[in-house]
Amino acid sequence: MDIKEYIASGILEEYIFDTLSPQERIDVELRLAEYPELREELNAIEDSLEGIAMATAIQPPANLKANIMSALIDNVGGLKEESTQQKEEPKVIPMPQTNNGMWRYMVAASVTIALVTSYLAYDYHGKWKSSSDAFAQLQAQNTQMAEQYNQVNNRLDDLVADIDIISDTDFKRVNMGAVDPTQSFAASVYWNAKTDEAYLNIKQLKTLTEEQQYQLWAIVDGVPVDMGVFDFDVEGLMKMKDIQNASMFAVTIEPKGGSVNPTLDLMQVAGAV
Amino acid sequence: MILRLKNQDKDALSYLYDKYGAALFGAAQRIVQDEDVTAEVVQDIFLKIWNKIGMYDSKKGRLFTWMLNLTRNASIDKIRSKEIKRSAKTDSIDEYVYTIDRQNSTETSVDGIGVRELMDDLVEEQRFVLLKVYFEGFSHSEIADEYDIPLGTVKSRLRSALKHLRNKVQL
Repeated sequence: MDIKEYIASGILEEYIFDTLSPQERIDVELRLAEYPELREELNAIEDSLEGIAMATAIQPPANLKANIMSALIDNVGGLKEESTQQKEEPKVIPMPQTNNGMWRYMVAASVTIALVTSYLAYDYHGKWKSSSDAFAQLQAQNTQMAEQYNQVNNRLDDLVADIDIISDTDFKRVNMGAVDPTQSFAASVYWNAKTDEAYLNIKQLKTLTEEQQYQLWAIVDGVPVDMGVFDFDVEGLMKMKDIQNASMFAVTIEPKGGSVNPTLDLMQVAGAV
Repeated sequence: MILRLKNQDKDALSYLYDKYGAALFGAAQRIVQDEDVTAEVVQDIFLKIWNKIGMYDSKKGRLFTWMLNLTRNASIDKIRSKEIKRSAKTDSIDEYVYTIDRQNSTETSVDGIGVRELMDDLVEEQRFVLLKVYFEGFSHSEIADEYDIPLGTVKSRLRSALKHLRNKVQL
């Protein structure tokens, strides 16, 4: 038999593609057993088929393997009887199985670590965020307290200064009572006759409109002298203009900014030195 | 491997899938042309391998050759059972295969060659026969009958085509 011609006929490919009739198959198998060159050629053809298949492989959908493996488990029950005669054979314990277990363990461990880490990251993020919020809140409170402290401190300074004046014996306190006896308005002037300094202190005066202000007058030699204007809600001692030889003090309501001459009709309080 | 399969060792089948799943999926998809149906076919094939491993005879050929034949036959059965008109496909089988190749971004050609590259420098007649047999599941005599080519010529063309590809994939 001419082996080259036999090979060239393409019958081995047909054999491999399993398209031969049973008689032809047997014939090829007999020849394969007889001629090693044929067997070699057959190997080469199988190599190329496998090569083509590998080179043109397409990645199956990811879930396909899992589907197959779970279908196996469903199938196994029905197959038990068929394979009982093979049960006797000692089972080959494959190394990869151990590896498999190891891999599974490692994958499980990685997944666990990933989950734990994600949870911790999330948790810490939450904690960081709330600390950050709390910190911002504290900073705001701190600023507010500092402002309040400054206010109180200023107020205290004012009061200390006021007390210095009040307790200074050189200052004479002149009380001014209400001109209208039905009212209980009252105010005082602290006046230092040596230095001419004068301070006003409101005890009670009526509320004025935006357009009005109180004006303090001193009566010097029978003539009213302007000592300055003030608002109705002034607290503590209010420094007024220096004055000499005052014999009397009086407060009138005037248009905002004050007047040159007092509006005597609107005199609220007055008191003699 | 075969012994382990015959002992119904699931890890062996899992290994087989990892190694050859994509190759068989590619072979099936080129015939079936539809990813979902291909997945069905490939699943059937692996169940068949699992159930029919007793029928495999290593003296007659390699396990992969057996699996590939199962795949080709199952794929062809599938499209025939789905009554896909063969005549509609024969006109443009070339385009079909190429189209699939182009569309499949998931193509996992190990060394970067797809069907197109593999077949590019085949003589037209050789490519035709190879596509018919390998990707469309025609038998040699079917091709001879349908396209009026002498049976001997079909065989020798297929052989030349495979021989050419053999050199190519072994590079």
